[in-house]
Amino acid sequence: MTLRIVLLIAVCLLTPGVSLAYPEFQVFIEAQSGRNVNCAMCHAHPDGPEGLKPGQIGSLDPQQLEALSTARAAFEPGQEVHSPILNAFGNHIIHKLGKQQFLLHRQEPQKLAPALGLEDDLDKDGIPNAQELLDGTLPTDPNHGDPWKLFYINLKRRWFHILMVGLATVSGLWGLNNLLHGFERMSASKTRTE
Amino acid sequence: MSTSDRIQHAGAWLRERFPLEKLTFESLFQKKEVPVHHMSWGYYFGGLALFFFSIQLVTGLLLLFYYQPTVADAHASVELITLHVGGGALIRNLHTWSSSAMIFCVFAHLITAFAMKAFEKPREITWVSGVLLLLVTFGFGFTGYLLPWHQIAVNATKVGLQSIEEAGAYLPGALAGIPRQLKELIQGEAAVGQATLSRFYALHVVLLPLAIFAILGQHLFMVQIHGMSQGVEKPTGKSEKFFPIFALKDFSIWGMIFFVLFVVALCLPFEAFFSYPLFEPFDPQGSTPDGIKPEWYFFFVYYPLELLPFWLVMLLSTLAVGALLAVPWIFQGASRKTLRNMAFAATVYLVAMTVFGQQIYEFFKGAQP
Repeated sequence: MTLRIVLLIAVCLLTPGVSLAYPEFQVFIEAQSGRNVNCAMCHAHPDGPEGLKPGQIGSLDPQQLEALSTARAAFEPGQEVHSPILNAFGNHIIHKLGKQQFLLHRQEPQKLAPALGLEDDLDKDGIPNAQELLDGTLPTDPNHGDPWKLFYINLKRRWFHILMVGLATVSGLWGLNNLLHGFERMSASKTRTE
Repeated sequence: MSTSDRIQHAGAWLRERFPLEKLTFESLFQKKEVPVHHMSWGYYFGGLALFFFSIQLVTGLLLLFYYQPTVADAHASVELITLHVGGGALIRNLHTWSSSAMIFCVFAHLITAFAMKAFEKPREITWVSGVLLLLVTFGFGFTGYLLPWHQIAVNATKVGLQSIEEAGAYLPGALAGIPRQLKELIQGEAAVGQATLSRFYALHVVLLPLAIFAILGQHLFMVQIHGMSQGVEKPTGKSEKFFPIFALKDFSIWGMIFFVLFVVALCLPFEAFFSYPLFEPFDPQGSTPDGIKPEWYFFFVYYPLELLPFWLVMLLSTLAVGALLAVPWIFQGASRKTLRNMAFAATVYLVAMTVFGQQIYEFFKGAQP
């Protein structure tokens, strides 16, 4: 426990100011998308990195604190980042842009999405990470995205399933139609016989 | 009136409501007719509500294989179903979308039955059981909402339970304590927690299904022995055979609706419409995210609660439920034209509150609730 506190203090002293989340991005995304977002878009914990709960700095063990220090030193793009206080998207941003360029975007949050580009899609839902950032949806959840974009993408992806179910429905109704008419004729002929 | 007269009177009343002589193959199938007129479309909503209930039943049973009703595992098990179980997302989406569709159809069925005066003698009991089915359906919605144990589920349930307790402040004497006791009975412990989840789970998967089976069974039985109501003031004289013509039309609509539901459930995750923070696992020590609201089918009560004094909304709601149950006796002399106008006004109110409730709230209060 003592070692953890010492390491925590050391990390905070060595990297002044960077243990804070970046509300500039949250404010921009909420204004742009009209959706409520919180720190969970990029961080491991929805209330941000500070605190004692899982995914927050106060809960990290020595190994995780070391990983955090390494991640915070990733100033240039292309470095492997496994920060325990970030989620897959947060780590992806630092990997793609580097810490230095990312911090520069705090002044102009609208430039973060273009800088990320449209080629990456962490949750493979068909909507690029950068677009999900602008839409205020979670880039790490395949069931979360702009509803109409998701609908259109899934419609194109799953047309064969839809076609098969359409055919099954039509066949079922055709069979039912014949079955019920058959019952009706049987019942009518029985009545005539009686 | 002597006792034997009363017994005879009660017997005659019951014979008229339960004409057991109509329980024959000939009466139920061969000779059963459905009136044809400009309101005939209203006859299909009841069947659709039944269809969506069947979807709920099947998908709900499948979800039971993986869902864990514990505070620690409920959210994770829902996530497992959605992200890792083969076809899990489709089943869960079918369950969620069809629950909304079922509630819509129950509302539509109630309104059209009212407009068509389908509660007329001898169908009073059918109407009362229909209103009870609406209340049970709301019970399904309220209890099912908590089960995924995410932020919106727990916080919205807290608000709902709090409203029950607050009603006590407006009741006199010994009655004042009843809502608090009722809330404690439902909640099961000091705050919404494991006991609440267990109780909601038991209600959602055992008690309410038993209740709906009993009431629905009675409702369908009554519909079968009495047949479809006349529906309009001046019958056209036209009719079609229930079997197979109307039954086939009913099944064809079910088939088309199933296809639409399947496409929607496959391509459009229900969660996509909400802000993500609302679907995070509930954290009792975490901050409450913005935008907590009940499901859309409670908006007609939620927005008035935000705008008007609590006691007024409670009073109006209690009167509305009482009036709904007593409709066959209150409106027995009303013309269908009057009923249609009232049904239209109720529809306008429900649509306005459901679709434009937020705008109406902001218009009067100038801020988000």
